Amino acid sequence: MVPLSWYMVLALILIGMGAYGMVSKRNLIRILISAEIMANGVNIALIALALYGPFFTFTAQALVILVIAVAAAETALAMVLMLLYHRRYRTVDLGIPVTRTEEVS
Amino acid sequence: MRLFIDFVPLLLWMGLVTALVIVMLLASWVLRPHVLQNSEKTSTYECGEEPLGPARISFPYSYIIYTVLFLVVDVMGAFMWLYAVSALRTSVFVVWQVVVFAAVIMAAVMFVLKILPKAQMTGPEVVALYEAAKEQATGLHSEG
Amino acid sequence: MQEAEILFENIEFLLIAGVVIVLAYLALEHRDIVYAAFFFGFMATGVAGIFILLEAPFVAGLQIAIYTGGITALIIFGVLLIPRAQDSTLEVLHSPRMRKVGLVLSISVVVISALIALLFPWQESIPPEHIPLSQSLEGLAEWLWGTHAVYLEIIAMLLFVGLVGSVAIIRMEKEEQLRPRTEDFSLPIPEESEPESATSGMPVLEARDVKEEKEVE
Repeated sequence: MVPLSWYMVLALILIGMGAYGMVSKRNLIRILISAEIMANGVNIALIALALYGPFFTFTAQALVILVIAVAAAETALAMVLMLLYHRRYRTVDLGIPVTRTEEVS
Repeated sequence: MRLFIDFVPLLLWMGLVTALVIVMLLASWVLRPHVLQNSEKTSTYECGEEPLGPARISFPYSYIIYTVLFLVVDVMGAFMWLYAVSALRTSVFVVWQVVVFAAVIMAAVMFVLKILPKAQMTGPEVVALYEAAKEQATGLHSEG
Repeated sequence: MQEAEILFENIEFLLIAGVVIVLAYLALEHRDIVYAAFFFGFMATGVAGIFILLEAPFVAGLQIAIYTGGITALIIFGVLLIPRAQDSTLEVLHSPRMRKVGLVLSISVVVISALIALLFPWQESIPPEHIPLSQSLEGLAEWLWGTHAVYLEIIAMLLFVGLVGSVAIIRMEKEEQLRPRTEDFSLPIPEESEPESATSGMPVLEARDVKEEKEVE
C-alpha cells in the first residue's frame, strides 16, 4: 500500500503550485485555473486522510463531493463575471489602470 | 482485492491508444509529400472564400449561459446517477428527496430559459445601438 | 503476489503523480490559454486516477464528469467568447518580479505546512497496515441519499443561486450595452482640453514622485 506521506506530498505540491499561480499570474482565467488546481490538491489530501484514518466514515467523501459541486457553481459565476470585466475594461488582465471614463472619452 | 486492479485494463488501453496516436502521426509524416510551406498553404480553410482575420472571433456574451446550464444539469445527473445505482430506488422518502432536489434545479433552469430572451440583444436594439454610435462618431469627426 | 501488487501500486502512483504534476505545470505556464485549459482538463483526469487508487470510485467519476467535462468546457468556451483572453504579451512583459514573489510565497506555504505536519505528529495516531475496504458505491449512496440528503439540497440551492446570478449578470451586461454609463462614482466626464484631470489620483502621484526625484538629484 502506498504510504500516506506520498499522497500528502503530492497534495502539498499541487497546493504550492496553485499558490504560485495565484500570486504571479495576471490573467484572470489563469488565476481561476490556479484556484482549481489548489482545490484538487485539497481533495486528494481529504480522500487520503479518510482512507488511512483509524476508522472509516463517509464524511470526507461527502465533503469532497460538496467541494466539487461548489467549484462548479463558482466557476460558472466566475466566468460570467469575467465576461462583465471584459465588457467594462476590454481585457482580462489584472492591474491595468484603465477606467470606464477613459474608454468613453 | 483492491479497486485499482479492476482498472488495469483501462491503463493498458490508454497506453495502447497513446502508442496508436504516435504511430499514426509518424506514418502520416512519413507518407505525406514534403512541399514548401507558405502562408497561402497554412492559412485557415474557408470554402471558396478568402479567409478574413483569425479563426478565433468573439461571439455575443450571452451564449455562455448555455454552458452554465450544461454544467448544472451535469452535476444534477451525477447525483441522480448515484441514486439510480443504489438500492434506495424503492424507498418513498428518498424518492421525495430526489423530487425536491430535481425540482429546485429545474426551477432555476426554467427561470433561466424564461429570462434569457430578455437578456439577449434583439435585432432592432442592435441596429439602434449601431446608428447611435455612428452618429456620435460622425459628430466627433465633424467637430474635429 | 502480495508484494507484486504493492510494487505495482507504487509504480502506478508514481506514474500518475508525475503526469499530474507535469500537466499542472503546463497548465500554469503554457503561453496559449486554450492549451492551458486543455492541460487542466487532462490534469483533472489524472487526479481521478489518484482517487481510484484511494478507493473512491464515485468521487473519481464525479471528478471526470464535472471537472473534465464541465469546468474545462466552461473555461474553454469563456476563452473563446473573450476576444483578447489569449493575448498574454502583457503577462510575459510583467512577470519576472511577480514570479519571484509567487515562488517565495508558494515555497513558504509548502515549508509552513511541512513544519506543522512535523510538529503535530498526526502520523502516529494512525495505525499502520490498516486497510479499510468497506467503501462501496452502495454504502455511499445509502449514506448520502438516505440519511444525509440535506447536503444535496444545499448543493441544489447553490446551483440555483449560481444559475440565477449568471443570467442576472448577463442581463446587467445587456443593460450596460444599451445605456452605457458615462461616469464612474459621479465623476464628471473628462474634457479633451484638460487631459490631466482625466484620471484621478494616479497622474498626481506620479508628478509628485518626479518632483521628489528632482529634489534628490
